[in-house]
This record gives sequence, structure tokens and C-alpha cells, in this order.
Amino acid sequence: MLLDLAFDVSTANLRPAELPLEAQRGVEQFLFLEARLLDERRFAEWLSLWSLDGMYWIPREHGQASPYDHISLAWEDAMLREVRVGRLLHARNWSQLPPTRTARLIGNVMIDGETAAGDLVVHSSFQLSEWRNNEVQQHLAGACTHKLRRAASGAWQLHMKRIDLVNCDARLPNIEVFV
Amino acid sequence: MSTPDVELATELASLVRADSVHKRVYTDPALFALEMKYIYGRAWVYVGHDSQVPATGDYHTSLIGDQEVIMVRAADNQVHVLYNRCPHKGAKVVPEGDGSTGKFFRCPYHAWTFKLDGAHLGAPMRAGFEGTCFDPKHPDFSMRRLARVESYRGFVFANQAADGPDLQAFLGGVKSSIDNLCDRSPLGEVEVAGGVFRVMQRSNWKVFYENLHDTMHARVTHESSFTAAREKAAQLGEMPFELLIQDGNGEPYEFWEKLELRAYDNGHGYMAGIFNPAAADRDPVSRDHLAALTKVHGEETAREIMGMNRHNTVIYGSGSPHTVFQQFRVIRPIAVDRTLVEIQVFRLKGAPDAVFRRAMLYANIVNSPSSNVMPDDVEVYARCQQGNLANGGDWISMHRYAGTDLAAPGGRVSVNGTSELPMRNQFAAWKQFMVAGAEQEVG
Repeated sequence: MLLDLAFDVSTANLRPAELPLEAQRGVEQFLFLEARLLDERRFAEWLSLWSLDGMYWIPREHGQASPYDHISLAWEDAMLREVRVGRLLHARNWSQLPPTRTARLIGNVMIDGETAAGDLVVHSSFQLSEWRNNEVQQHLAGACTHKLRRAASGAWQLHMKRIDLVNCDARLPNIEVFV
Repeated sequence: MSTPDVELATELASLVRADSVHKRVYTDPALFALEMKYIYGRAWVYVGHDSQVPATGDYHTSLIGDQEVIMVRAADNQVHVLYNRCPHKGAKVVPEGDGSTGKFFRCPYHAWTFKLDGAHLGAPMRAGFEGTCFDPKHPDFSMRRLARVESYRGFVFANQAADGPDLQAFLGGVKSSIDNLCDRSPLGEVEVAGGVFRVMQRSNWKVFYENLHDTMHARVTHESSFTAAREKAAQLGEMPFELLIQDGNGEPYEFWEKLELRAYDNGHGYMAGIFNPAAADRDPVSRDHLAALTKVHGEETAREIMGMNRHNTVIYGSGSPHTVFQQFRVIRPIAVDRTLVEIQVFRLKGAPDAVFRRAMLYANIVNSPSSNVMPDDVEVYARCQQGNLANGGDWISMHRYAGTDLAAPGGRVSVNGTSELPMRNQFAAWKQFMVAGAEQEVG
């Protein structure tokens, strides 16, 4: 079960990451690419950005320490991410007729450091407008914590994407697409 | 003084027929206002579980219809339910949410204080009240308690009316679902744990109740999610729990026809389970759970408890417990076209941790705002809300298997699992509450 995993969500005890300016720019470009793929509903390409065992996480509480002892707005591995995409692209997905459109801005990108496993921890902020069905569905905002992993090819991979919504504990409408 | 409003009673009665209901019940704000008085003003409504207020002074805010209330634990361990209103200027005494107020309530406006049962404790500068009618012993100067509060196995219900049946008589046969939820704990006790979800729906509260036992919608409304789950399972060559609970909606009509739907007075009922209880012997979580129960009760009773396999239960006016996966979808009407659903998750005290993790996982996947399953429900509810504003007809059909319901202990049972018995039963209760309310209208 997905709540029996040993996946490490912690970002404590990081060591400093020495990244040349150009590499830092590469990290930013990777985050922008990720955002753009989601905004353009290029879901297959977005799925391919992930490491095999990477986790997508939206905590339900402010500062939630763990997905294992508390419910989460999302806690998804590759299997569940693919099912979500499968549903979003299904012809009879009534709640996606018309589909959700999104536009997001990513900013305040900062490299926090490197985990013991060698993953790069990157902090960013985002603003996301979601629209469907003749009204602004919702406006989401918050902070993102990425754990990025270097693939053998040298490209970055998403290993963890933690999204801390400012209103994670609010009365929410459905969140159908990826944040 | 009571003045029966006969005209209103007749009008309300005419909105519900044996097999259909007038669309106004979903769209008319005036009827919504009457429901707040006649249903939510007279029914027992679930406020919260006493585990949400474990210590003296702990409070949990809640809604009974359009009334904001506070559930609070007093020093003598008693749980009180008070209207969230200071008798001085009317300010809400505590903000929405959970917290601790200490040994007493203190209004943030002028520091009037109240005991944990709402009784007046003090107001600053007493001399200013001398020679006035201010009387700390008069109820007008205390926080008002709900007329009645009763708890059943930790589930705290309140009633705004002083008269009427007691809680257990009101619940009738559906009490057995609360029992089964608690009995699944080797200690016979549950607690709210792991957080709650709050989801807004753009539709009338009654649509959600009806849908809970609407077996004909599953494979139509949820085609996108069960198909996606099935395709993934086929690819994997197995059906893990995460996919199984999305796959169930895809069962063919023959499957749903065989399920049993039970209906009790006051709109309550339950639906037989759709996930196989024989899993108790197959999956390791259920096996360990069964072992823990067996240690306490012996195998026969343990199997009996786990074999009581129910899907959604309806406690009309309160919401829907799910016994097998330990959730309670608490349903709060906000406006004629807005409904709040709060999803509570329960830990079974003394059961293996994995049972609780499975309950959280079920909540994450099925009941989270970002569930793959729920949005298509919420979309069709909203379409009903909007469609019923069109001049395309006035009545909503509940004809499926009408006239065939059978008597069963304490209530009725469907002859076919696709029967619209649950909807007819809910509207029979609706009519009873509404007509009785108009007949007892306070003039």
C-alpha cells in the first residue's frame, strides 16, 4: 500500500549544493518546463519527467511532516499519476467537459541543498489560476519543494514534488489536474 | 404559541409523491430556509465525535443546519453543545475549527466569560449593571445550550427541539452501522484521527444523500475513473487496493441488482458492501485485523463483525458513515445550491496500524478534493442543480421498482439493488418533517 512506503519526504540535514550559475539556470528552466507541460496538458511528457519511484504530494495540513500518519490532498506514485492522466484524457470524463485550463507562474526559485541520497532540494513559489465551465474555478497559491535527481543521461528528474497550498486545510472544490 | 400553517403544510405535502418529487425541493431558497427549521431544527444531527475534544476545555465547531455550534468537553467529562454566540452583542465566542478554551469561554469583544456548559461566569465592571435587569442567573445572559445532546458510542448528536424521540429511537435500525464501525475495534472504541477533508459541492444537499445509494449511476458517471484504473491494472497484471477501490464502480448492472438496500424511518438506510468481505482471508491487513478481533471475541464473533459488509450508510441529516473503511462523510447544507462535505477518518482503537493506514489511503484516493472518483459525481450534482432551473419539466422520477418494497425488521428492503427505494424513503421522511413543521409552526 502507498502508505507503507519507505519513501523519504524529509528535507532536513541538507548539505550545501555547489552549483555553478549555469547549472542553477538549468534547474530553473527545468521547473519552468514542468509548469509549461502541465499548463499545456502535455501529460505524457510530464509523466516522463519522473524518476521510477518518485512521489507527488499535496499535504492536507500546514507543515505536515509525514504522509504516513495523516491524510493528504494527494499522495501519488507513478501508478496513480498515470491513472489520473488516464481519467483526464478519457472521452467520458464528465467533469472535464470542458477541460480545466491552467496558467501558472513559478518564482522565488532557491536551491536549498542536497540530500544524503544526492538529490537536489529546490524551493519555489507558485500562483495557479484554474478555469473551466464559464467561471474561474479557483486560484491556488503556495510553495513547492522539489527533490530533483540526476538521471544517467545527466537530465534532471522529478523525484519528489511537495506542494504546500496556502489553503490546504480550507473547504475546497475538486482539484482535478496536477498542481 | 403555535399556529398550524395548514396552507403551507398542504403545499409542502404536494411536492412529494410516492414515486416522484417536485424539482422545487432542490432549487427554491424559501424551501431551503424551511428545511433549516423543520428538518435541521427538529432532527438529531451529528455534531462530532467525542474523541475530537479529548481534554477539558477542548472544543470543536460544527454546523447544525444553518446554526454554528460548539462541541466542548467540561471538567466533569460531559460533552456540551452550545450555540456559538455571546449573549452580550452576539459575537461568535470561538473561531471556526478545533482548539482549547481553557477552563472557561471568554468572549473576545468585552470579556464576558462563561463556564464550559455555557452558564454565565462573569462580566467586567459589575457595578455598571446595578439597578438594571441584568441577571447572571437568567438564561438570557448565558451561552445557550442546544435543547438536547446525546451521545451514542462516542458519536455526539444534538437536537434543537426539546420534544420528539430520543437519539436511539430516531436512529432506529441504522444504529447497527455505528455499532459495527465501533465493534471493528478490538476495544469497541474508535477515534477521529489523521485529519479531515472539506469539499464544497455546487448542489443541493439532498442530491448527495440520494446518490449514496444510487447504484444505477456508478458505471455511467464513473466511467472515466474505473476505466483508467482497469487499464492500469491490466497493464500491471494485478489489482492493488489503490485501483480496486476505483474499479468497483465499473461492475455490470447484474452486480448492483443483487445488492440489498435497507431503508429505515427518518430517511436512514444502508447499502450492502461492494468490496468482498472474504478478503478477510486474502489480504494481509484484513487477516491481521481478524486475528486481533479473534483474540478478544473468539473467531465466530470476529468473523461476524468483519462479515457485516456495508457500503454507504445514510444517517439522514447527518451524513454517511462507511463502516468497512472507517470514514464518515458529514453532510452540511450551506445554501440551496451549496453543500459542504466533511470527511472524517477513524482509527479503530487496538486494531493493527495497517488498518488505519488503509482507512487513510481510502480517504486519500476516494474522498480527497483531488480524488479521481468524486469530481464526476460533483459535476453531475451541479448539472442537476442547473438543469432543474430549466423549464423542461417539473418532476423528478423515483419510479424504479416503486411499489415493490418489502417489509423488513424495523424498516423496508429492496427487491432489487437498483431500486430507488432509498430516495423514496428519504423523501417520505422529508415530507414528514416538513409537513409536521408547518403544522406546528410557531406563530
